[in-house]
Amino acid sequence: MTALAAAAVWLQPVLLAALALRIAAGAPDAAWLPLGALVAPLVAMLAANRRVADLGPIARAALAVSVTVLLAADLVVAADLATSLDATPWLGVVAAGALALVVPLIPGARQASPVLLAIVATVLLLPLVSIGATTRTAPWTAWSRGALRGTLTFPETSAWVGKGERFARADRLLFTEGQRVTAVSGGVFRVVERDVTPPTVREWRLAPGEALTLRPGDELALEAGTRLRFEPGRRVPGAPASGIVWADAPGRSAAMLPSALGALVTLIGGALALVPAVRRGSAAITGPAVLLIATLAAVGWGVFAGSIAPDLPLGGSLVAPMLRLPIRALGARTGAPLTVLTAVALTVLLLTAAVALRGRLVAACGPAPVLWAAAVGAGGLITALRPEPWRLLTLALGVAAAGCAPALLASGRIAGQAGCAIGVLVFAILAALPLLAPALASWLEPLVRYPSLVAMPLGLMAARMLARISPEEDEEAPPVVR
Amino acid sequence: MLLVLLLGAPLLALAPASPGAVRIGGVSLLWWYAGLVGPVLASAVAIVALVRAGE
Repeated sequence: MTALAAAAVWLQPVLLAALALRIAAGAPDAAWLPLGALVAPLVAMLAANRRVADLGPIARAALAVSVTVLLAADLVVAADLATSLDATPWLGVVAAGALALVVPLIPGARQASPVLLAIVATVLLLPLVSIGATTRTAPWTAWSRGALRGTLTFPETSAWVGKGERFARADRLLFTEGQRVTAVSGGVFRVVERDVTPPTVREWRLAPGEALTLRPGDELALEAGTRLRFEPGRRVPGAPASGIVWADAPGRSAAMLPSALGALVTLIGGALALVPAVRRGSAAITGPAVLLIATLAAVGWGVFAGSIAPDLPLGGSLVAPMLRLPIRALGARTGAPLTVLTAVALTVLLLTAAVALRGRLVAACGPAPVLWAAAVGAGGLITALRPEPWRLLTLALGVAAAGCAPALLASGRIAGQAGCAIGVLVFAILAALPLLAPALASWLEPLVRYPSLVAMPLGLMAARMLARISPEEDEEAPPVVR
Repeated sequence: MLLVLLLGAPLLALAPASPGAVRIGGVSLLWWYAGLVGPVLASAVAIVALVRAGE
């Protein structure tokens, strides 16, 4: 496989959009995720893998599940895209699902997709170059300015203080200062008042246009789809307290090490399973180059959005930082065309990702179109559960890591399959733990968030031990570079 | 080599005394590394390895 086609498997819209959102929001793990998202596919490209067909049924099933969940995560991006355009999320899922279903089956799509990917990666940089050139602000200057802000407040130009904005997913907002919040769409609003002991929960039924006054310490629970308007000049609820907190998240401490390792193991294991090794030579330069451009674009979007418009991550929409930023930075006249360009680029990226994912599904389960249709349909159904997209992405990569890596890295076919079975079993137990036991010990939290941190090494250890105990099963197939 | 480059980011971020928070030209050492230097170096390493393996 060419390096560019391999890069297309990795460059899912959900990955780039989630990276940009986490950087804009000042998430504690935002600093190492972009580097992890770049290095993981590079490691996979350089690895000499076996063919997927040689991996055994459990690994192939894990790969198929991973492809389906990745599709679901991409369809969540499409839902957020539709919400940003004031359409219902389902319209985005259905439209994107239909395109994802049909386009990979078109003859020639597989050949055209890598070229389109290279174009899209470059196009995603253009709005950033335009913002940087017009405002005469380099990304590092934007970061520096963002880190110097005293407070992160709603500017007058924010849509959250104008016509109001919609929450893409359910959220709980903690208010650190008093604020009047207006319900643009009516509904029941639950407020936890923490200034009394024990905390009091009150429910308010508001009609459109009615307001709710929240005091410092109050927590407002919101359903997905709720539309709210905030006061200009007030702190953005849920945002970092200041620029310095955005830049150097206080949560970054040695206690985060298991989570950091979990994220990196998930990325690398997922990439090893999903991204095939590539043909070597000078033509392979394009793969790492496009991965680098896309990663730098995600970092740039996140830094500019976090610095210029700290309210954009509010509401949890994956695409808000990318679609709203050009207009906020450059005004409607210059920004609107760049917003359209970005939306088109994200849509094309979704199609190149779908074509690449179909390639992986064909390698794992065969070329029958009905399998692809089932994967797209299941992905669409998963979005009905209103999942958190980062969780979907890490589950998709994690199940691929736990279910395929033991077979990829261990010698011996049967030992590898046994390792995959153990990896998948441990992964499933850890991923389902919040459902089985809602009150979890805090030390288990990183393992639940990134189950492959334990599942992949356990599967690999089991495979290697079995190969050592039963060397007669060690009929290793020679590594094949796809 | 790639994995060593990758581990540099969490080490800078999570090491005691926060060496990643040191500012260089207004930007923290962590973000210079994780947002620019690390990705460029990692891509360069991968490109060299892929090209050499093809010769």
